[in-house]
Amino acid sequence: MSAVLPRHRVNVLTGIKSARLVEDAAECANYIQKAKRPLLVIGPLLLQSQADGKLLLEYALDLAKAGGIPICATAQTRGKMVELGVQPDCVYDAVEIVNALKDPDWKGVRKEGNHDLVMFFGIRSDLGSQGLSTLKHFAPHLKTMTLCKHYFPHASYSLTNFKKDAKWQEFLESLIAELQKGG
Amino acid sequence: MAVAETKKLSKKLEELSKLIRAEIPWEPVGPTPMPDIPDIRSWDMRLLKTYQPFYAPFCDLCCLCTYGKCDLTAGKRGACGIDIATQQARVVLLACLMGCSAHAAHGAHILEHLIEKHGRDKKIDLGESITIEAPHIRTVLGLKPETLGDLQIALEYVFKEVGHLLDSCHTGQEGSALDYESKALHAGMLDHVGMEAGDIAQIVGFNYPTSVADTPLVDMGWGAIDKSKPTILVSGHNPATSTEVIDYLREHSLEDQVEIAGVCCTALETTRYSDRAKIVGPLSRQLFFLRAGIADVIMTDEQCIRTDTPQEASKVGAAVVACLDKAMYGLEDATDMEADEIVRRMVGNGEHFAILDSAKAAEVAVKVAMEIAPKRRKEWLAEEEAIELAKKCNDCAMCEQVCPNLCSIGAGITQLAKGEFEPLRVLFNECIGCGKCEEECPRHVPIFRLMQVAAGNETWKARAGRGPIMDTEIRTVGAPITLGTIPGVIAIVGCSNFPDVDDVADMVEEFAKRKYIVVLSGCSAMVAGMKKDADGKTVYEKYPPDFEGGGVVNVGSCVANSHITGAAIKIANIFAALPLRGNYEVMADYVLNRVGAVGVAWGAYSQKAASIATGCNRLGIPVVLGPHSAKYRRLYLSRKEEDDWQVMDARKKELVETGEPSPEHLAYVCETKEKAMPMIAKLCIRKNDTPQGRAIKLNHYISLYKKYMGGGLPEDLHLFVRRDADIPLVYKKEVRAHLQEIGWQPREPVGLPTYIGTYPSKVSIDAVIH
Ligand code: SF4
Ligand code: SF4
Ligand code: SF4
Repeated sequence: MSAVLPRHRVNVLTGIKSARLVEDAAECANYIQKAKRPLLVIGPLLLQSQADGKLLLEYALDLAKAGGIPICATAQTRGKMVELGVQPDCVYDAVEIVNALKDPDWKGVRKEGNHDLVMFFGIRSDLGSQGLSTLKHFAPHLKTMTLCKHYFPHASYSLTNFKKDAKWQEFLESLIAELQKGG
Repeated sequence: MAVAETKKLSKKLEELSKLIRAEIPWEPVGPTPMPDIPDIRSWDMRLLKTYQPFYAPFCDLCCLCTYGKCDLTAGKRGACGIDIATQQARVVLLACLMGCSAHAAHGAHILEHLIEKHGRDKKIDLGESITIEAPHIRTVLGLKPETLGDLQIALEYVFKEVGHLLDSCHTGQEGSALDYESKALHAGMLDHVGMEAGDIAQIVGFNYPTSVADTPLVDMGWGAIDKSKPTILVSGHNPATSTEVIDYLREHSLEDQVEIAGVCCTALETTRYSDRAKIVGPLSRQLFFLRAGIADVIMTDEQCIRTDTPQEASKVGAAVVACLDKAMYGLEDATDMEADEIVRRMVGNGEHFAILDSAKAAEVAVKVAMEIAPKRRKEWLAEEEAIELAKKCNDCAMCEQVCPNLCSIGAGITQLAKGEFEPLRVLFNECIGCGKCEEECPRHVPIFRLMQVAAGNETWKARAGRGPIMDTEIRTVGAPITLGTIPGVIAIVGCSNFPDVDDVADMVEEFAKRKYIVVLSGCSAMVAGMKKDADGKTVYEKYPPDFEGGGVVNVGSCVANSHITGAAIKIANIFAALPLRGNYEVMADYVLNRVGAVGVAWGAYSQKAASIATGCNRLGIPVVLGPHSAKYRRLYLSRKEEDDWQVMDARKKELVETGEPSPEHLAYVCETKEKAMPMIAKLCIRKNDTPQGRAIKLNHYISLYKKYMGGGLPEDLHLFVRRDADIPLVYKKEVRAHLQEIGWQPREPVGLPTYIGTYPSKVSIDAVIH
């Protein structure tokens, strides 16, 4: 894989181990389906609407539903979720959930043991990048994935830098469809 | 112990006793006067047990020595043996040392300047309402400073410790992240000593306001500057020169003819000296203002002054005088040159100079400004012109990739080209003024000029900094703060790397309205005043300037932060009558367990902010940081239900498992203002709260949660309800039902909570009983 620069230069990789670029929705779905205890961590950027009026949060909720994935709501995302009729499985802030995840003995959101795949979606890219760095260094027991429209080198799996939001939305829709097909 | 060693020890003690005049019995000398690195280490380790360091490496590599670069990813060690956690802690310590040094060296320079003027024996007198003049110096050193000369003793101690700490950062030494943290906490503590010495010197030497709350309201914003007059911009932190400029203008009856304006902390300092000086704004407006070309002469001193000031000034035909050795920019040192010769060369050749004699620098600046101002054009960009210029933009988004605040600035420019100004106005509030976007733009769109149409010419009012909190105020608020009936002291401090400038005024408003005590300093103190309510009033005009519930207090510049932490110490000392002399652990333990104070460094960017915050942490004050601050690499977080919340009940001398995470974290990053609001309220909770106080604090926690988090009750509410009486009246029904549902059990509040007795310490448990 050729080097990919993160969209925001403040997140440029200053090391060696960087994320695997995932450009195919089926491959992405496969990673998620292989996970035994995935977790979806959602952030406040999902409270923004896309050009077509769809709330990004709706993609997250659809994705969680399709994959049977518990949701951790960070910042003020819980309120909108509840409005949309979904209760988050837990409410932590970004640094708190990362702090819990890096403990291999943490019981996890469903008290079934720590998670093996954590997806981040909608967190400010500088904060997100730092949280992913924490997990890359201190949580060898889990893998991370980002679903935002930019490349995050500190993740285990990352989407690419999408030039057009529509392409990204297309990807998310295919991913949801793949997950609905089941694994 | 060997005889030689005992001798050495007592020799050291003897010297120390002499320095702090131990024989003067204003208070007994406690266990740790002038502590060295290991002396307060066990307190640090106790803190770090509950509030463990959380590391977010900003870089996976280390390149500090020629063994490297070393890749430290995920468990790999460097060639010297260091691991990634320890490396992060080492970098944090380095940051704290830079921050601490910046303040202490600023203090040392000011002291030298003032001792030159007034002599070493100039008495420290902070007015009739302040007798505990230097709570940090008294606590940490055990010295009661009486003269300017005594402040030098404090700074010499700081510099000595900084030397040892810096030494420990050398390759191949400290191998424990926790020990580096303890050292960083030590550096943070020293920073508050350095800041305090510096600001006391300034107050005494420059006759700043003291023992007063209602300092003047001063003008703020570039719109407040009369552009038809010669304008001098003072930039940085050290007022040695700006005060000389004001003296020069006064002596030559030029005050009406020359404008003096400041950016960053020097602005705050200068308005403490003269209420005719104007505040341009925080650091984030510096480059914008420079490029606007309004300033004829720019005088830089130290810290946060940009490294490209001469280049930027040349672009707009302004002149630069570098006034301090910290930043000489490669300029010719004209300190010994005749003033008129310097003026001739600056005016005639457009040269910039370093002038380290502040009186001469002042004279030159005024003369140059008066000569060049009439020849310079100072035009604000017209809207039509802006639209035309914006049309050069082809929406390539290159600018957005380099923005450290992740702004969609290109989108703002393309909207502007269509005649829409609002998007750029919104972005201007988010812009931290770094200039990266304009540098990156392949089509050379003058983004900063375009921002002029977004920035407008609005003016605001800020209250001039007032220095220390008065002892009289501490006596009044001591009880309500420790009982919890004043729900907290919220100190919104520091730099302007904000997600959005408006956040600060919103926070001040939210907490002042709820009768918290809101204290401000530095750039945060400025931007707090940069938003008006529906009646056109800023928070400074709306709320009283007193240190009381519902008051909004500007203590001053960065170095005045020491007065905020100093107020916490004063509560322990004046209100609770605990001796402070050489008694750091007792003070910190009191503050942590009983004083509901929280620092909010929403726009922290600098190494100084790192050391200030870390100093707050050692003293038991939690700090909330904005989202960028994850880049500081280290936080102190607890794990709520999983952590050790055991305290001693000092009265019963019993260990108590409280299960109550109060305060929950010591250094915490919030992604949004919305999340920060309830978090700040929660971090004010202390184990010492009375049922009435706790009910008030929980009332705000719940109500802020409902307001910003979208209804419902906080997930962790049960951890903070000890008995039914703690439940706020307004939410009684809802909370009772919730608690019943989750099987909550009441528990006894702790009479006199303390960490002393839960870890090895020289301090006896009786020392915390007042
Ligand atoms: S200080 Fe240590 S980790 Fe850093 S480059 Fe040198 S050997 Fe490597
Ligand atoms: S000047 Fe403002 S908009 Fe431009 S890159 Fe810096 S922060 Fe972003
Ligand atoms: S880099 Fe220049 S041309 Fe490109 S979007 Fe930004 S302002 Fe427009």
